[in-house]
Amino acid sequence: MATMIWMEGITQTFHLEGMDLPVLKQIDLSIDDGEYVAIMGASGSGKSTLMNIIGCLDRPTSGLYILDGSDLTTLDDDELADIRNQYIGFVFQQFNLLPRLSALENVMLPMIYAAVPKSARVTAATEALTKVGLLDRLKSRPSQLSGGQQQRVAIARALVNHPALVLADEPTGALDSKTSQEIMNLLTELNQQGTTIAIVTHDASVAAQTKRTIHMVDGKIVEAANGSVQPSANNLRPDAAIV
Amino acid sequence: MKTARSPNPQTHRRKRRKVSLREILIMSIETLWNNKLRTALTMLGVIIGISSVIMITSIGQGVQQQTGAQISALGTNVMVVQAGAARRGGVSQGAGSASTLTWEDARAIAKQVPDAKAVTAFLQRGSIQVVRGNINISTTLLGTDLNYPSIKNIQPQAGLFFTQADLDSGRPVAFIGSTVRDELFRTGESTIGADLRIQGKRYTVVGVAESKGLSGGQDLDDAIYIPLTNMSSQIVGNNALTGVSINGFWLEAADGDQLNAAQFQVTNILRLRHGIKAGDVDDFRITNFVDIMSTFTTVMGSLTLMVGAIAGISLLVGGIGIANIMLVSVMERTREIGIRKAVGATSGSILSQFLTEAILISVVGGVIGVGLGVALAFAVATIFKFPFVVPLWSIGTGFGLSLIVGVLAGGIPARNAAKLNPISALRSD
Repeated sequence: MATMIWMEGITQTFHLEGMDLPVLKQIDLSIDDGEYVAIMGASGSGKSTLMNIIGCLDRPTSGLYILDGSDLTTLDDDELADIRNQYIGFVFQQFNLLPRLSALENVMLPMIYAAVPKSARVTAATEALTKVGLLDRLKSRPSQLSGGQQQRVAIARALVNHPALVLADEPTGALDSKTSQEIMNLLTELNQQGTTIAIVTHDASVAAQTKRTIHMVDGKIVEAANGSVQPSANNLRPDAAIV
Repeated sequence: MKTARSPNPQTHRRKRRKVSLREILIMSIETLWNNKLRTALTMLGVIIGISSVIMITSIGQGVQQQTGAQISALGTNVMVVQAGAARRGGVSQGAGSASTLTWEDARAIAKQVPDAKAVTAFLQRGSIQVVRGNINISTTLLGTDLNYPSIKNIQPQAGLFFTQADLDSGRPVAFIGSTVRDELFRTGESTIGADLRIQGKRYTVVGVAESKGLSGGQDLDDAIYIPLTNMSSQIVGNNALTGVSINGFWLEAADGDQLNAAQFQVTNILRLRHGIKAGDVDDFRITNFVDIMSTFTTVMGSLTLMVGAIAGISLLVGGIGIANIMLVSVMERTREIGIRKAVGATSGSILSQFLTEAILISVVGGVIGVGLGVALAFAVATIFKFPFVVPLWSIGTGFGLSLIVGVLAGGIPARNAAKLNPISALRSD
């Protein structure tokens, strides 16, 4: 099984009022293609910071990060934007849909930045919304949708560019338990269809539905549950290209 | 298991696709359309800024042109000598109120003042009742001589001014202003040869004057001209022993430069004729239009300055308005920028979109603002009856400024927001 994420010695240090605040301390992590992983930890453990680095929303202070065979350490902002666009789909706790756009337009957004022609965008976005069960709500704006439906739109948006990895940050955090379960079922289903998914959560019941849980305490990975070891099973740094 | 995704970092760089300008334009238009209220408010800032600049400069220029036209209509090489300035008990009786000037004075000036090209005497009375059939109006009656039309630049549009023979024998003939004609005659009705009753006496119309329009709120066409001899004997009725009493006379010099010399000569001759001793005050008053002209030129200069200052202020206010709303609009969209960046927008495409939106708003708002400003200026000019002029520079300046301010005020915060780390942008509310 191919390695999707390979991290070696990732650190992240924030500078606050002249003080160095280490948030991530020497993280080594590997996630394989097709895995279904939860990153768990208390608030302040660094799990969101880690997710931001995995998602290329932020850069680590030091360390090596290879995503799907590409070394991301040396990329500039625009190249990272391309990586986010082509390789990563985000699902946020607060959905983060554009309020003035319809469900269809929200889902088409990543494809605009991928320079996909309009007709192909409509087809792909309709397909993605069908996959999350919202074929009848294409024209609805976020305000006309329930929280669960908004999160489904967000998931469709995350899927539409066929990313290597879907990153979900507390995807059920703003939802009631019944809707949360529906969203988890959807994510589980997507993973069964082959999508690599990483969920950041502090909710053990969410983590329990994934196949592997990574625990974080105080900026370090302390334990990899569900039988996996760190680094990942194949234990080989992908031979990709370190530029 | 692995899909056809690139495993090699180099390929990312090659694979990079740029969002086309057309796509950005469509996205900007859709965003503006989807946020109608915000778009309308932003545009309103631009519209108010531009239209106020255009309206104010147009009104300013119109008033300037009108004032200038009025002053030159008075003549730049003429002066008027009016009877009066006689003081009784220290109270000035006002120009023209005392009968100290006679037609003989005017004729003597014409003969003896070398710099006088032409002189015309006048004797006038306001609120004179004029009747034709069952129409009864009140107008100004002015008795004068044959030099009046050329000095005062009055042309007949029908018939002719009265003749020397009319003047010599004091015939009851009338040359009427166009307002008088409009009030007394129906459109198309023949005027020449028609009879009027002026203060009960019968007069025959010999001509109608070309319209001179308004001057300082006074209708120059609301007047009837009759021979001075007739005016003096039939209407005013004071055949003084010393001669024909007049209110004053106009003097035309060859050009403005000779007017001061003429004024000096007129003063000397009149003082001599009226037997005024050295040290006593004149019993007449001279108004020199070259002096008035230079005063008005100064006034016009201040007027131009004032219009410029007001236009500058409205440009500033308009510019601040545009800048303000653009800034606020970009601030409240930081989260949107974060979302767009998270799904793969580059800083460049974010900036292009916001710039395009700012340019669209500035251009569309600018066009509406120009239209509105021109329309308002036209309305004001029509209502207050001054010439309608729209200086091209005001359109250019207003439009250019709104574009520059719009792009800077929309672009600079957008550039800052586009440079933000997507995380920070996403966290903003």
